[in-house]
Amino acid sequence: MAASNTAGTEPVIRIGGLRKSFGDHVVLKNIDFDVMPGEVVTIIGASGSGKSTLLRCINLLETPDSGHVWFHGQDLAAEHVDVNRLREKIGMVFQGFNLFNNLNVLQNCTLAPVTLKKMGKADAEAEAMRHLAEVGLADFAKSPVTSLSGGQKQRVAIARALCMRPDLMLFDEPTSALDPEIVGEVLSVMRDLAKDGMTMVVVTHEMEFAKNVSDKVVFMDQGVIAEQGDPQQIFTNPRMPRTREFLSRYLEDKPAEVREA
Amino acid sequence: MSTAQGAKGTPKEKGRGRLGSFLLEDHRYVLLGTSVVAALGMWLSMQPRSALSFLAPVYALEVVMYYVLLAWLVVSAVALVTKLVRWRDYAQTSPFAKPAARRAERLCSYVVWLFSAVLFLDRAVMGFVSVVQGAVSSNSNPKDFLSAMVYMVYKGRGIFARGIATTIELAVFGTVIAFFLALLLVFLRLQQVDRPDNDFVRFLKVVGCGFAKVYSAVVRGTPMMVQSLIIYFAGFAVLSGSGMSTNEIRAVWSTFVAGLVTISLNSTAYMMEVLRGGIEAVDPGQTEAARSLGLSQWQAMSKVVFPQGIKNSIPALSNELVINIKDSSVLSVIGVFDLMFATTTVAGIYYRQLETYTAAAVCYLVLTMIASKLLSMLAVRLDAPAMGPALSSSEVKVTTGVAGSASQTIKTEIESAQTQHRGGM
Repeated sequence: MAASNTAGTEPVIRIGGLRKSFGDHVVLKNIDFDVMPGEVVTIIGASGSGKSTLLRCINLLETPDSGHVWFHGQDLAAEHVDVNRLREKIGMVFQGFNLFNNLNVLQNCTLAPVTLKKMGKADAEAEAMRHLAEVGLADFAKSPVTSLSGGQKQRVAIARALCMRPDLMLFDEPTSALDPEIVGEVLSVMRDLAKDGMTMVVVTHEMEFAKNVSDKVVFMDQGVIAEQGDPQQIFTNPRMPRTREFLSRYLEDKPAEVREA
Repeated sequence: MSTAQGAKGTPKEKGRGRLGSFLLEDHRYVLLGTSVVAALGMWLSMQPRSALSFLAPVYALEVVMYYVLLAWLVVSAVALVTKLVRWRDYAQTSPFAKPAARRAERLCSYVVWLFSAVLFLDRAVMGFVSVVQGAVSSNSNPKDFLSAMVYMVYKGRGIFARGIATTIELAVFGTVIAFFLALLLVFLRLQQVDRPDNDFVRFLKVVGCGFAKVYSAVVRGTPMMVQSLIIYFAGFAVLSGSGMSTNEIRAVWSTFVAGLVTISLNSTAYMMEVLRGGIEAVDPGQTEAARSLGLSQWQAMSKVVFPQGIKNSIPALSNELVINIKDSSVLSVIGVFDLMFATTTVAGIYYRQLETYTAAAVCYLVLTMIASKLLSMLAVRLDAPAMGPALSSSEVKVTTGVAGSASQTIKTEIESAQTQHRGGM
């Protein structure tokens, strides 16, 4: 927190020359981009273009083959870096929610703060209740996670990540596993977060969200960043023909994300 | 056949033949099932009475009961024939299908059940009690199978009780010890080199994982009987190497201790594989989520993955207790005084093998059934997934008990061990 306040112009995340391959299949080639404090970056692109892998490289869930991921100036990709300490500052929300099935809603939120920050149980619970209230689920604190709907699970997942007071939140297709009518409840929570100044990197197929909420859009195609920039410019006047082709499919028929996912 | 029937039958019969539908869907409980019970009761009534038969003084009552059962058979035969003849409109036209008649049939069926139960009590239960009485008071081993079995179990009750107690101790303690060892071993087995680890930790993890793999392969690939002999004699050799006398060694390294060590180490390998299966079945997303919050590999495992994995494994783990009850019989080769050894001892005293081993089989069956009942109750309490067939070990185990061609050599082993033991008794 302190670091981001003192160095307002320094990027939270700077990615340089990132490469990643699974066997012979090269997924990411030479990725470079920055995320500034308070910025909301959305990564769009066709399935298989490397969006999720890029996001998972930011908190080292995937180990890059080469290149650098600087988080507040510290290179995460270097050997023997204590990634656990740094991951505490990077929250992540998954497509499949991944709530801990052996714990209830509140325990899901307090597990990491109590274990890692040596926070008192009461303090951690008070903070967790605050975040659960923010996502509108304070009444469900004692429920087992298996009893929740998809949208509720995803909101708990967001609250769980917030309990670690992260500097940066990563969202990996947070609405792709949800029914179309409950996508809205998750997106509105994310919108509130963005409004509060949270730095966010969002992989999504929700073009409305990308267009209206984000400060920067990154369009990925076949493992490279084909185009990045201001959302208004990308959506109204894309420079690359591939971007135009991809966006035209979305803008023609809106519920296309269902097909894509 | 089936296609012809399918073509002929009405949709209501769902392609099941007339006879099949008749047997499976109508009257199967009241008329058909109770007829079987009635026939059994009549058969019991024809058996000779024992000395303790309480129906003997009231012979007239038994005759009445017999004819009531017979009447039931006749009536239900008529009803069933009616059913077959009036297949299409049985429910409307048959006198047996009227609501009052149906109620009466049901009530009568209770009477039939009661009479058959009384006859069962008189002939089977009281017959068995009288056999037990006769055998217990007998001075010599009776000729017939059941009496001889009861006689020998009664005479050798101290030996059997000691054997059963040892078997239970071996199985329960062995399984509990094995569970904790397996937790440790599966933790080693699942270690993966993590980015923050330094070279020393990486080395330890690779060694630990390799050890777990080798341990599992060796233990699961060799018979428990061989393991028990190796462990027993190896322990003996080590202790005598340290300058202890044979008697001192016996006091420390008893056959029971060696047996317990064997069964624990053996079961550890199987339980580790069970736990590994349960843990690997946990969604990898659970680990990812835990790691993304900053938890270390160990914290993610111990707080998120292990609790779920162990819960997944509860049915198969409790199966291990049942398997250990049975497989502890193998330990009699080193002279552990378990149920198997006790049985062999008693069989050796009376030279009656078939009866004693049958008694042992009954004991093992009762023990395993009690164990699986208790364990499934425990599983319900712990809200674990449903229990599998706990009495089958063929899919999990490589080792099995004493059988076939090996038994001859084992017998000599047992006999020598037995003489040793008798001296100690």
